[in-house]
Amino acid sequence: MSPAAGPASPGELKVAVRKRFSDGHSAFELEVNFSAAPGITILFGPSGAGKTTLLDCVAGLQTPDGGRIASGPTVVFDSASGIDIPPNRRAAGYLLQTLALFPHMTVRQNVQYGLAALLSDEREARSREILESFRIARLARRRPGEISGGERQRVALARALVTRPGVLLLDEPLTALDATTKARIVDDLRAWNAKQGIPILYVTHQREEVFALGENAIVLDAGRIVAQGPPHEVLGRPTSETIAQLAGFENVFECTVVGQHPEQGTMTCRLAGSTLEIEAPLSRVDPTQPLRLGIRAGDILVATSPPHGLSARNVLEGVITSLRQRDVQVIASVNCGAEFQVQLTPGARNSLNLETGLKVWLVVKTYSCHLLQ
Amino acid sequence: MRKLLIYAVFLLLLVASVSAQQITVAAAADLNYALKDLRLRFEHKTGDKVTLSFGASGNLFAQIQSGAPFDLFFSADEEYPKKLAEAGLAEKASLRTYAIGHLVLWVPNGVGLDRDHLPGPDTLLRDILLQPSIQHIAIANPKTAPYGRAAMAALEHFGLKDKVAAKLVFGENVSQAAQFVQSGNAQAGLIPLSLAMAPAMQGLGHYWELPADSYPELRQTAVIVSSSKRKATAQTFLDYVTSAEGTAVLEQYGFRVPQAK
Amino acid sequence: MILQALALTMRLAVVVSAILLAVGLPLAYWLAFSRWRWKFFAEAVVSLPIVLPPTVLGFYVLVAIGPMSPFGRWYQALTGHSLAFTFEGLVVGSVLYSLPFAVQPMTASFSAVDRKLLDASALLGASRWRTFWRIVLPLGLPGVLAGVVLSFAHTLGEFGVVLMIGGNIPGATQTVSILIYDQVQALDYATANRTALILLMLCFVMLALLYGLRRRTPSSAWMWR
Repeated sequence: MSPAAGPASPGELKVAVRKRFSDGHSAFELEVNFSAAPGITILFGPSGAGKTTLLDCVAGLQTPDGGRIASGPTVVFDSASGIDIPPNRRAAGYLLQTLALFPHMTVRQNVQYGLAALLSDEREARSREILESFRIARLARRRPGEISGGERQRVALARALVTRPGVLLLDEPLTALDATTKARIVDDLRAWNAKQGIPILYVTHQREEVFALGENAIVLDAGRIVAQGPPHEVLGRPTSETIAQLAGFENVFECTVVGQHPEQGTMTCRLAGSTLEIEAPLSRVDPTQPLRLGIRAGDILVATSPPHGLSARNVLEGVITSLRQRDVQVIASVNCGAEFQVQLTPGARNSLNLETGLKVWLVVKTYSCHLLQ
Repeated sequence: MRKLLIYAVFLLLLVASVSAQQITVAAAADLNYALKDLRLRFEHKTGDKVTLSFGASGNLFAQIQSGAPFDLFFSADEEYPKKLAEAGLAEKASLRTYAIGHLVLWVPNGVGLDRDHLPGPDTLLRDILLQPSIQHIAIANPKTAPYGRAAMAALEHFGLKDKVAAKLVFGENVSQAAQFVQSGNAQAGLIPLSLAMAPAMQGLGHYWELPADSYPELRQTAVIVSSSKRKATAQTFLDYVTSAEGTAVLEQYGFRVPQAK
Repeated sequence: MILQALALTMRLAVVVSAILLAVGLPLAYWLAFSRWRWKFFAEAVVSLPIVLPPTVLGFYVLVAIGPMSPFGRWYQALTGHSLAFTFEGLVVGSVLYSLPFAVQPMTASFSAVDRKLLDASALLGASRWRTFWRIVLPLGLPGVLAGVVLSFAHTLGEFGVVLMIGGNIPGATQTVSILIYDQVQALDYATANRTALILLMLCFVMLALLYGLRRRTPSSAWMWR
């Protein structure tokens, strides 16, 4: 039975929706079915996977084509019975990527905006409480334009949480912040949630955050859930190429074991579709089964002449097929019989005079080859 | 031979177009229909072209004073052309009264009038204008239109000026006054006979001529502008308008012939 | 004469601006946020008075309020008199004439409000009404003010429409622009000059006050080195 079919226990968020959406280039169908318990659930995936669309559906900003969303005992959306509660009645706190703080109001007014239904005494008390717990009480009279990025994030969080929502949605809330600020905000959030105990859906595409924050991770790709579970499980042993790439393995190859060398601690793997062989660390796998090997682009060295005297077991001859620069990273595609992505610094590219068509040698340590599940 | 003929025709046309003159005429608004007719006949006869500009006589007077390039000015009164001549802006010798204008009271259909007794000339204005169903009376602006001044004089003559002052509505010129009353927005209007007789007004209302002694005679006078470069053609046109043929046309349009001076 | 015309013109401008504020706000809101696919038709209609010569507009208004039209007849039956040649008639004509000048700045500034702010407002429990009053309107205020000022100024200078439907009645429909025109036509240049000057001074003082009161936006000082 799918998780979202039965009634939600108090505090649990159950989502089963489908929706056609597009990421600007192609159209996808978002189709998900999951249940989020109180605590932080990370929604992880590449851009265009549908994470924001999913949050929008839960919040009521977008309408799914079909499905059911229940927050605790309340059904906020059900296409079968025509229920579609508008966003202002869903009790969902949503921290938008742009924060959307009201520029013409002070911090206090921003935080109190959602408390209009309360009497002024209670409103004051609650807003003071949350301003203090997020350590922004001294900013109460300032405008959003007058405070720093980290402070703005706290204000946005406080504003969303002060209304005691049944579910909290965060869309990449910490991207532009430095590590210390991030850590502090996360601590405050955790402390707050320890008291409230609501499901928090936290969207990110940075794998460090997945590990830092999540108790539970859901990986989304092209509108579908491709993995669920504790972060280290989902990312440490990627079950798909996409996740592997997200987890930082730019080179993923199917291969078969052609020889095992227990005394060396290695095994020889032939990459599927080529004659290329790589030495990987020995592991207890069934040699008859195909397996997957992942190598990070940053773990590969490039030499412009055949290297000698190196410890690396893998030296592969190939030709540069393309060179791309993105910000301060240079990505080279090298064809050694199989296509490898190599990450270099611009300085390296310049001093080696790398260019397309150049014959190079790739150097990969045995221990840089990871077995993917 | 044929080539020669073509050349000859071509030359003839060229000569004809070169010698065909064009004059610009400023005319009082009440001549709207009459002058257009006269123009067509004149152009047909002589090949010369006449451009007409209609407006309140006072308006046109001010424009000529400021140097507007008109060749000929047909005013609705005598005073404006005389003033121009005295100021040296028009040829005194060309002053000519071409028609006598007449004022009528026009009431559109649908205005609830007590028609049981047809008003006689002495009680005309009083009987109609004081009725409660007459809420607005349209006249041309007396400051700039001779017909407007005549209308005010007629109202004064009948002792109605104060009584109907609040109901008066002023048109830019006699044409706008006629338009106000023809559209029904004004329930009565004191307008030129020539406009009341126009096709556009036919069947849409009823009019009564005001007795001639109730307002100063509208001696509509024309004059040639001094700055004109085509005085000869202007004179020809003026002559045509005041000829037997021209006068007959004017009479058709509601003007009376000026008595020989 | 002059004072009467001036007072009348001011009164007309105030009344018209007030009406356009009341009518313009909901219209601008609808134009800014509606997603009706035929909305562009409405936008074109609202913009018509900008393109139409005032005399054309005045002509159509005159026809519409005259006894030949159902509206004119209805009004006559209701009130006992026609809308033509009255102050109220001028108000109707002027409201139509200045409509786009009021509505377009308002629509533009409402549209410019960040949609995410509206989302945030809804997510915090605000109804559409509350979102309008607390978010859209305060942030769109410059456009609303511009609309009011523009309709006021536009009405002050109105001529063509008044000429067509006013009837030039002192105290009721003789606005300053008509008065000046009248005086010029009557060759009374001295009075015309005086009247025009008074109007000019008045407008100048109003505009100076307006610009003086507007909060100064910071500009780069180095642009004027």
